[in-house]
This record gives sequence, C-alpha cells and structure tokens, in this order.
Amino acid sequence: MAFVEVRNVSKSFASAGKVRDVLSGVCLSVEEREFVSIVGSTGSGKSTLISILAGLLRPDAGTVTVGGENVQGIHPHASVVFQNYSLLPWFSALENVRLAVQAAFPDWQRARQVEQAQRYLETVGLGGAVQKRPGQLSGGMRQRVAIARAFATNPRLLFLDEPFSALDALTRATLQQVLAQLCTEAGNSATVIMITNNLDEALLLSDQIVPMTRGPRSKLGTPIPVRLPRPRTDAQLLHDPTAVRTRAEVVERLAEFVHEGQSGPRPTAKIRSVAEAKAVEEQL
Amino acid sequence: MGERVVRFLLPVVGVVFLLVVWAVLSANVQDLPSPMKTWQESKIYILSPFEKRGEMDQGIVRLASYSLFRVAKGFLLGIVIATPLGFILGLSKTFNRMFDPVIQVLRPISPLAWLPLGLIIFQKSEPAALFTIALCSMWPTVLNTIAGVRTIPQEYRNVARVLRLSKFQTFTKVLLPATLPHVFTGYRLSLGIAWLVIVASEMLTGTPGVGGFLWQEYNSLIYAHILLCILTIGVVGFLLDRMMGFVEMRLRSI
Repeated sequence: MAFVEVRNVSKSFASAGKVRDVLSGVCLSVEEREFVSIVGSTGSGKSTLISILAGLLRPDAGTVTVGGENVQGIHPHASVVFQNYSLLPWFSALENVRLAVQAAFPDWQRARQVEQAQRYLETVGLGGAVQKRPGQLSGGMRQRVAIARAFATNPRLLFLDEPFSALDALTRATLQQVLAQLCTEAGNSATVIMITNNLDEALLLSDQIVPMTRGPRSKLGTPIPVRLPRPRTDAQLLHDPTAVRTRAEVVERLAEFVHEGQSGPRPTAKIRSVAEAKAVEEQL
Repeated sequence: MGERVVRFLLPVVGVVFLLVVWAVLSANVQDLPSPMKTWQESKIYILSPFEKRGEMDQGIVRLASYSLFRVAKGFLLGIVIATPLGFILGLSKTFNRMFDPVIQVLRPISPLAWLPLGLIIFQKSEPAALFTIALCSMWPTVLNTIAGVRTIPQEYRNVARVLRLSKFQTFTKVLLPATLPHVFTGYRLSLGIAWLVIVASEMLTGTPGVGGFLWQEYNSLIYAHILLCILTIGVVGFLLDRMMGFVEMRLRSI
C-alpha cells in the first residue's frame, strides 16, 4: 500500500436546500517522498480535496490513510500551506514560524525554537524581515513566511493548496524555485501533495501530475509520471530535449483526459502544434 | 493656517450658540438660572475644587472623584464577570442556547429597577450601587465579546487546527488577540453605562458624589448647582469615553 492512500472519497455540501456533490469516488496513491501535483480547473473541488487529505474535513464516503492509518484530524507530522497565507497578523514573521515549531517540538528550548524559525526564514530569503508583522510584508513575502512555517517543523507530509496563485508571475517563479530547493534539500524526506492550476508549475516541481475533472462529482484521472531529475529550472524545461518531450507528453495526456471528460473517449490525436498545446492548457 | 483656525473656531461657535439658547431660555423660564447666575453661584465649587466644607458641600473635583471611584469598582466588577461570560457564550453553542433567553430578558432592565433589589440584598447603599452598576454595565461587554468570537475569520481558526495548537494555546494565541478589539469596544460602552448608572443610583440613595449633590441641591432649591452637576456629568462622561477610545485605538493598530 502506498504511503498516502485515498480510496473512493466522496464529499457533498448542502446549502439552502440544495446539495452539491463536489467529489465522487476520488482515488489516489502517493508513495513516500513523492511530489504529486493535482491539476484541475477552478471549481473542480481541489480545495475540498486537499482539506480532506490534510484532515481538516471528513469525507462523506471513502477512506484516506497515511502510513496505513486512517486520517483523524491533522496528521502530527503534516504541514499545510494555504492559498492566502493564513499568518496571524498580531505576531511577527519570526513568532509565526516559532509558534509552529513549538507546537511540533514542545520539548525544545525556546532558544532552539527561535533558531530553527530564524534558519528557515533565512532560507526563504527573509532573514532581514523576521521582526516584521504580516501587515508590513508584501504578498510574496507573506507566502515565503507561510512556506518557512510549513518546512520549519520538518514535516513528513506537506499539503499545498494553490500556494502561488495569488501572486504575480515573477514572484511566483521565484517562490517555485524556493519550494523546489526546500523539497530537494539534503535530509528532506517530505511527501508533498500540491494543488495547482498552472501546468508549468506542476512540471517544474512534481514527480507525478494527476488531472482532476471539472465539477460536480469530480474524480482524479490516471497519474502522469514526470521522469526528470529534481530540482529543475524553467530554462531546462524549455530547452532540454528530454524535458521538452516529457512536457509534450504530459500536455497530450491532459488533452486526452480533458476531452474524455467532455465528450466521452475518442481516438487519441497527437498534438500537432504549439498553438494546439496552448489551447489544451487554456482549458485547465 | 486658515484651516486650523476654522477647525478650532467651529466648536467654539457651537458652544457659544448653546450658551445663547440657555440664556434665552432662562430669561423665559422662571426657575431656570441664566449662565451668568450659574457661574456666580457655582464659582466656589469649581475654583476650590478640592475643598471639603461639609459632607455634601465639597469642591467639584472631590465630588466627581467619589463618583468615579464607585464607577471604577462597579465597572471592574462588571467586566470581570462579563468578559469570561462573553467568551463562553461565544464559543459554546450549548451554553449559548441555555442562557440566551435569560440574557435577552435581563438586558433591558433599567438601573432604577435593579437598585431597590440591590438595597434589599445588601442593606447598604454602597454595595447596592456597585451591584447595580455591574449588572447594568456588563451587557455591552458580553454582547460585543460574543460578536468578536463569532466573527473570527475561519482562516485563523484553520491556522490553530493546522498547527495542532492545544486548546489553551488556541485561546491565548489566536482567539484572544483576534477578539480583543471587539472586547474593548464593549468595555468602552460598558463604561459609559456605568457612569450613567452611578449618577442615578447616587440620586436615589443620596450618597456623596455628583449625583448625590445634584439631588440635594434640587431639594434645597439651589438650581444653579443642578446645572453645574449636569455639566460636570457631561464633561466627565466625555473624558472617560475619550480615554477608552484612545486605548481601543491603540489595540486596533496591533
């Protein structure tokens, strides 16, 4: 059995008399230390899925197991990075991260907690801003703090819910590299599940890309492997022949998946041009 | 320069207008003293504000300070009860359902109705006054605290869950800082009510203080002093509100 095993998870929400079936029969297997990206369009229930995986929500049906055990609330060695930072505004960046470290390692001395927090804030490039409050930081900096907070607890499991979609393209590119670096750092053994709507981001960071159908009753498709060594760079993805081929393959598989979802299975057609590839991406 | 002068001038104009209205009214109403007469008869209380010539014949600051001490005690008693009560009612649905009808019924009861009950229970006017102040002034704090707890963004609650904070830590690190601005709004409103109540209760029980002095002077037919008391009550109430507003503002910027 895989490290993270999701079997037939379904979730519905009832509001004002109407019932929305968000997820239906979602299945996923993630091996330890893998980086898996779930790619899907808006409204497909991605946030709901990651909330269930992280233990914030309970599914109506199906099971989620981590290391063989059923998920009951937040896993003790899990960290979550939300789309909108979720930092406590009345504490400094350092205190926000230290709070997480303290909760994960309650028997550490305070000085050691501070040192750990400081170290991760420096790794994400915020060494000079540790005493600032979130209100004094830009969006990109706040998300760096959120990432530092997630990694400072040495998590075994990391959930990222569209962590960069609220940021501009340049900041996004920088933070993707920060994340890639933290994931491949020596001694880092985290299993990562990330939700994203950006295919390039998924290609840059993941070992497997899993497509998600549009709602309602969303499901996950067959995972598409990305067999390139990590860490990767944007330049590499554009120029390295293996990388380019892998990218084309991924786009093709996604196109199949999207078309299948819309109008039933059809004979596979190779992507013939860059324009066609872009059209497929835009559908996501 | 021009703008500053105008800004200072406008409130002065407002006050002068009020004095004119007062003067006109006093010329037409028999027993109402004019501003001039009020000043002449009240001078001694204002100019020697700390003097004590008799139990009920003291400088204005002394009288006001008696009332303020009582307000402070009653207000503190009120918020010590109201703050935890507000948190419990905000956090626990069961507790809320149990006591919400009771609170809704107790809330609109006027201080004048509680005071006799206080006198029966405590026999003496001082504890009765404190009882009345606490019971009347606690409601804004309770309600604002409940509102504060209810409007904590889900985001912050998620942080507490995701970091797996203990209940105690969730309370001290997340819930308390998030609701503090609302709690202090409650305190400010409660203080206003407490000041209101002390005047009423002093009038009814005749204890030394601004309210007590007011009622005494009414019974002694020295009406100028009534107006002096009214002005004092207004000014002190204003200063108290300003003081709390300042504290509230400092908290909101945290």
